[in-house]
Amino acid sequence: MKLLQPPGWGALGKEGVLGQCHLAQQQLCEMLPSACVYYFPWEINSSIPEGEALRTFGRLCCYDLARSEAILTAQHSSAQYRVCVDTKFVEPFQAQLGSHYMVLGEAEHREGEGPVVKARILTCVEGMNVPLLEQAIQEQRKYFNERQERMGKSTS
Amino acid sequence: MQPECKKYEEEMPSLHWGMDPVFSAFARLYIKDIKEMRESKQVPGIFFYNGHPVRQVDVVGIVVQMKERDAFYNYGVDDSTGVINCVCWKNPMVAETSLSGRSSTHSLTVLEQMKKLQELLSQKTKLEIGDIVRVRGHIRTYRQQREIQALCFYKVDDPVCDVQISRMLELPCLYREVYDRPFQGPEEGQSGLEDQNFSINMLHEKVKGFLLENKIQTFYQQELETIDTLVSFADGHLPSPSCQEVKSKSDCSSKRIHSVFKEAIRMLQEKGVVFQKPSSSKDLYHVTDHDKELLKVTLDVIKEDCRKPRHAEKGCHFLHVLSCVRQSYNPSLAEVVMHRVLELLESNSDVVSTMEGYYMAF
Repeated sequence: MKLLQPPGWGALGKEGVLGQCHLAQQQLCEMLPSACVYYFPWEINSSIPEGEALRTFGRLCCYDLARSEAILTAQHSSAQYRVCVDTKFVEPFQAQLGSHYMVLGEAEHREGEGPVVKARILTCVEGMNVPLLEQAIQEQRKYFNERQERMGKSTS
Repeated sequence: MQPECKKYEEEMPSLHWGMDPVFSAFARLYIKDIKEMRESKQVPGIFFYNGHPVRQVDVVGIVVQMKERDAFYNYGVDDSTGVINCVCWKNPMVAETSLSGRSSTHSLTVLEQMKKLQELLSQKTKLEIGDIVRVRGHIRTYRQQREIQALCFYKVDDPVCDVQISRMLELPCLYREVYDRPFQGPEEGQSGLEDQNFSINMLHEKVKGFLLENKIQTFYQQELETIDTLVSFADGHLPSPSCQEVKSKSDCSSKRIHSVFKEAIRMLQEKGVVFQKPSSSKDLYHVTDHDKELLKVTLDVIKEDCRKPRHAEKGCHFLHVLSCVRQSYNPSLAEVVMHRVLELLESNSDVVSTMEGYYMAF
């Protein structure tokens, strides 16, 4: 497992010619990234908004070091799904082909291809109970949906 | 936003917070909720989730940001619902390196043990991006951002995500069973009379808010009893005297609600917020603040009398105004209602109080 901060993240706000500029940079520096919402690998498609912070998982099936690109795969109702991951920010990392990985990052749409997840964090989670994780994600979603409905009722 | 937050716009008095178990626990909330819940008006640093007072929280998430300062680390923690900054103080014990200096034989093993402890501590508290962390602490607002001031934090070894998965499965249950259920106040049995007074007190505030907010001019008690938010409030906060027969239970509870509403309205009458007129139906209540006629009559009395030479200098006395209004408007008008009317006129700058109990209009 190897993790790197994207370039420019921590470096912001170190310098600033103008006081105001410095302040603005500092504020930028204080900003937290958006929460990475769970997506199932089969939900990663062209409908995901550009820049959406997300986390997903899958088996690492190939890793192209030259292109900084990894493919995660997952089975769902007898179909195989592929998630393309840009690994530029998390390199170098020890790619264990065939192992399960969890990725956190932002969705990016590139011309002529499906969406790519620009990884901020890529962790090997080999041995993870995938069906249980899937259930946990469903439970969390179910709870928030219920709550949304309740709120809708109480405000109308 | 919190579900059903409307019901809890009025927070429970701080005296009763301790009765809610959530208050003394480290609430295991979603980070999204920690960032969105309302801060107490009575005590900053205390927050309300669905009416529950929250003093301290417990979160588990992945470190997505890290900044080192002199004495602490700032960790951005992401639990997939939100990201919050956690202020984690460096452990002075880890920083201390002077242990190696001393070397007397009998304390060698102690020294070794200490070293091991230091190592373990630094392992558990040195976090990197991508690590799973558990943080317990207080919530505070810094530069308009909520953050957690850690009381305790450590790295969670979670190579196959067991900890995260079990928490994800647990939280929805915890919310349904505890956090999303309203706290049942001081209730059931204990000191019945005091509790009932407390409920009625809360209900009367609630009714007052309702009447003023919705600009209600007149109402019947029965009408109030059809307002769901008020009824559920009255119902939920009441000590329930045991009903012997199940079939009479709903009957019994509606009677109870009726009596509580009656009591709450009586309190509002005592405070002059509402009053009755002998000319209208005996069950009809008038809301003082919205009774245009009463306000006008009072203002006219003061205006007219201030033109008379003997009142011109210091204005009319309260009792004089009261007796005039009683004559021309309502012979049984309570003093307290008159006080409220004059306060209202004064706050609208329609009248001026020249000295204690004297009013003037121009």
